[in-house]
Amino acid sequence: MLIDHTHRKWLVASAVALTIATAVYIPYALRAPQGPRGGSALGLTYGIAGFLFMLFAGLLGLRKKFPVWRVGRAQSWMRGHLWLGLLSFPLILFHGGFHFGGPLTRLSMWMFVFVWISGILGAALQHFMPRFQTAQLPMETIYEQIDRVRGQLAEEASQLVDETCSALEGEVSHASERQRAMSASAGTQGGLTVASGLQANEQVSTQLRQFLDAEMRPYLQRPGSHAMTLGQGAQAQKLFQQFRVLLPPELHSNLDDLENICEEKRQLDKQSRLHKILHGWLLVHIPLSYALLLLGAVHAVVALKF
Amino acid sequence: MPAGTTIFDAARVNGIPIPTLCHQQNENPVGVCRVCVVDVGQRVYAASCIRQCEPGMTVKTSTDPVQAARNTLVELLMSDHPSPCARQQQSGDCELERLAAAGEITEPRFPHRTTPRGKDDSSAVIAVDHEACILCDRCIRGCDDIRDNWVLARRGKGYQAGIAFDNNLPMSESSCVSCGECMVSCPTGALTNKRVVGTQLGEGDVLNPAELLHLPIFQNVSGTFLELNQKAVVKRHFKAGEIVCREGEFGSTAFYILEGQAEVFLSSPIAHVKTEGSSKGFFSKLQSLLAPREGDRRSEESDRPFIPIDASVDLPYDNPIAELNPGDMFGEMTCMSYYPRSATVRARTDCVMLEMLRNVLDILQRNKTFRAQLERNYRARALDSHLRSVPVFASLTQDFIDHLRDRVELLRFNPGQVICRQGDPADSFYLVRIGFVKVSEQRPGGELVLAYLARGGYFGEIALLSGIPRSATCTALDHVEVVRIAGEDFQLMLDRFPDVRQKLEAIARERIEENQRHTVQAQNVPVDQFLAQGLMEAQSLLVLDLEKCTRCDQCVHACADAHDGVSRLVREGLRFDKYLVATSCRQCRDPLCMVGCPVGSIRRRNTLEVIIEDWCIGCGLCATNCPYGNINLHPFPAELDDPAHPGHKIAGVRVKATSCDLCHDHAEPSCVYACPHDAAHRVNPPEFFAGLLAQPAPSKTRS
Repeated sequence: MLIDHTHRKWLVASAVALTIATAVYIPYALRAPQGPRGGSALGLTYGIAGFLFMLFAGLLGLRKKFPVWRVGRAQSWMRGHLWLGLLSFPLILFHGGFHFGGPLTRLSMWMFVFVWISGILGAALQHFMPRFQTAQLPMETIYEQIDRVRGQLAEEASQLVDETCSALEGEVSHASERQRAMSASAGTQGGLTVASGLQANEQVSTQLRQFLDAEMRPYLQRPGSHAMTLGQGAQAQKLFQQFRVLLPPELHSNLDDLENICEEKRQLDKQSRLHKILHGWLLVHIPLSYALLLLGAVHAVVALKF
Repeated sequence: MPAGTTIFDAARVNGIPIPTLCHQQNENPVGVCRVCVVDVGQRVYAASCIRQCEPGMTVKTSTDPVQAARNTLVELLMSDHPSPCARQQQSGDCELERLAAAGEITEPRFPHRTTPRGKDDSSAVIAVDHEACILCDRCIRGCDDIRDNWVLARRGKGYQAGIAFDNNLPMSESSCVSCGECMVSCPTGALTNKRVVGTQLGEGDVLNPAELLHLPIFQNVSGTFLELNQKAVVKRHFKAGEIVCREGEFGSTAFYILEGQAEVFLSSPIAHVKTEGSSKGFFSKLQSLLAPREGDRRSEESDRPFIPIDASVDLPYDNPIAELNPGDMFGEMTCMSYYPRSATVRARTDCVMLEMLRNVLDILQRNKTFRAQLERNYRARALDSHLRSVPVFASLTQDFIDHLRDRVELLRFNPGQVICRQGDPADSFYLVRIGFVKVSEQRPGGELVLAYLARGGYFGEIALLSGIPRSATCTALDHVEVVRIAGEDFQLMLDRFPDVRQKLEAIARERIEENQRHTVQAQNVPVDQFLAQGLMEAQSLLVLDLEKCTRCDQCVHACADAHDGVSRLVREGLRFDKYLVATSCRQCRDPLCMVGCPVGSIRRRNTLEVIIEDWCIGCGLCATNCPYGNINLHPFPAELDDPAHPGHKIAGVRVKATSCDLCHDHAEPSCVYACPHDAAHRVNPPEFFAGLLAQPAPSKTRS
């Protein structure tokens, strides 16, 4: 959700409502002999208005449960939730004259503070995070599918390594006697290791398979695992660069694919983290909101009855 | 020896073997391979197959120098031969490779030919590998001299020399009748029998070639071919009430009724998927249900009185059942193009049918006797319903149809073959009988697909009505059969039936306007990525602004809620700039989903919106064909035939294909309506992305 110019009407309306409420509250607070009280006519008005706004904000959850109900666009409900929810807090403060009152109302008010702050935090997260996520995660997938995609990546990596090793080993098995003899004589020439021989192919193949078993597969299969070598972009790059030197150029594309698989896994991990941040605040906001509505209702009944 | 006897024949009569490649007993010798060389005591060795014996002649057939010369010739031939060739792999009897083995030639000393001569895989029955051809001409002599078909000849010079069908056409497009003589004449793997693998015939009596040739439909079919394909056709017996094949099943065989009667019908409910509910009240739940045409008339609903199926008859829409009789064939499209079965066939009486694989069907379709019978049946039984299945021709009188009966022509085209070409003069009107035809226009920027036409579709009317050359190229997408109505008959029809003229003119106008709209849009959007992602092809996209989208999946939930829990969108897809093009029907301009529908139930409205007609049988081919995964199969409860108790019904589930219907009962699609973040939008791509497309640098994309 982007809080942009399209929210202007809601912003203006909320600002006007807040200004009027404040303009009415200041003389009322100054003139009231015992200070502003929730039980006064104006206090009750603030309380009712604030509670109705809270109630409306709370109904968003119900609206989301039934997305096909034609009861107004979800977008309007969300904007109402945001701005009226924001406005409800000062109205409730005006209702209580900035006093938190007895144990029930104090509990309610503190809860409201948490709900309000968590809501603002959530709005901010929803404003900034999607853009960040879009820029950072070009390989983003559906969050619920991450585990499955991880499995697919592991499988794909195994196939690629198999393919690469088979190509290397195939060269060995197809080599003529003469090539084998030449390979056997390959060694160090002028301080440089001759890596073009068949021995080198066999060694690289073994190394690649070890790398898959020891590093890559565990990394791809486990969620997170940022501490692993492949979890760090720069280190992973170095590692693949070493293999690139050892492998013949025609197999470099396979290495590129393996490197991309690791990059995708890093992005999936990052997506997972960002998703938790983007939606984690709701774990606080939603239960507290419903508890607050309940307490608000109890407070209203108790206050009006007694 | 009688005068004129060749050395080769004389040696053969005397039991002296002389190897040869280009010569066989039933053909005239030509002496091109020279493998049969013998020493006749002259300066050069003579080819024994053409050199005649002379009195007092001394012939040495296997001296060391003669053997060495033969080995060199074989070695030269082997240097260009793909060893092991197809024949060697199949049966181990490639004559060249056998000679090479006998001469202990393993690796030729000579370099291989570097210019490839290619393969021709177009025929369903014979594989042509030009690489393995040794230019012995045995196939040419077999085709021309023995069979008198005159299809095969030589082509090219030097390294490019080879055999050619007609004017160097692909074998399937040539006048080849698939008699198989060339194949049995070929000494190598250049012409080999294509076995149909991975397909299964039902259990039945395997008929030997003699029994098959006894049947009228196999008259004039090459016995050689039948010999080579002995298990590709079986005789099956069905008891009355027994199901022969079921609609929606994938198969690979065709059936020909020899005895008895069968009924062909659709068991799927004749109704389309309709979503209804909440437009009437705030809180009423949406639900998907099956609604017949009369109960829920949609805009531009088809008025076709007949449902096209893969048989010689069409099914009436009101009561989709018809009768099949001896001499009728069904399942041709399934057999040739592997489409799902379009209808269920049940034996009405005890039936005897031939079930055949595609190589047999292909050879039958090339057989003049069978073609004539097929055409006779079509003219007698199917022309009426075929013409009347096209709403435009519904008003044709019986006498005019009778007039057409003997004048229409059934033409067959292979995949990729051009039926008529843009710019050619127009002389005929075509009705599609079997298969799918692609209508495309050549533009400076490339080919633009205008439409796909299935059975019941027609083309060629624009040019005939306006007297201009063909405005588009029509190409067979698969094995296509069209009914050709000559230009003069078409004109006669227009003169006699002004309402037909009026309707055709109106449709032609619509098609021209639509084509022009396509062209304008194609010219206005030059961005590569945009085109590469197929976005140009889309008319309506569900895009999610990723900078606003919090990945809450409300759009998906709303879609599922609106369609009985079956979401028609997935929040995944290609990205174009900051937009995610969600997986949801794009109403493509090039709707690949329509290709292959065995009953032609998926089509477009004039607005290009995809509509799935009532008679969808739920085979799922459209869902498979959609490149964007945007068609789903929606299950519905239905009454099905009880296989254990014929005539009884049991409760079951039938599926119907569904695509995004844009929740057209509502002002806005549910996905867009339910998005709390203003991130989901249904847009027309060129308009929506106009700003981005105007930017000089291509936008960031992913695939």
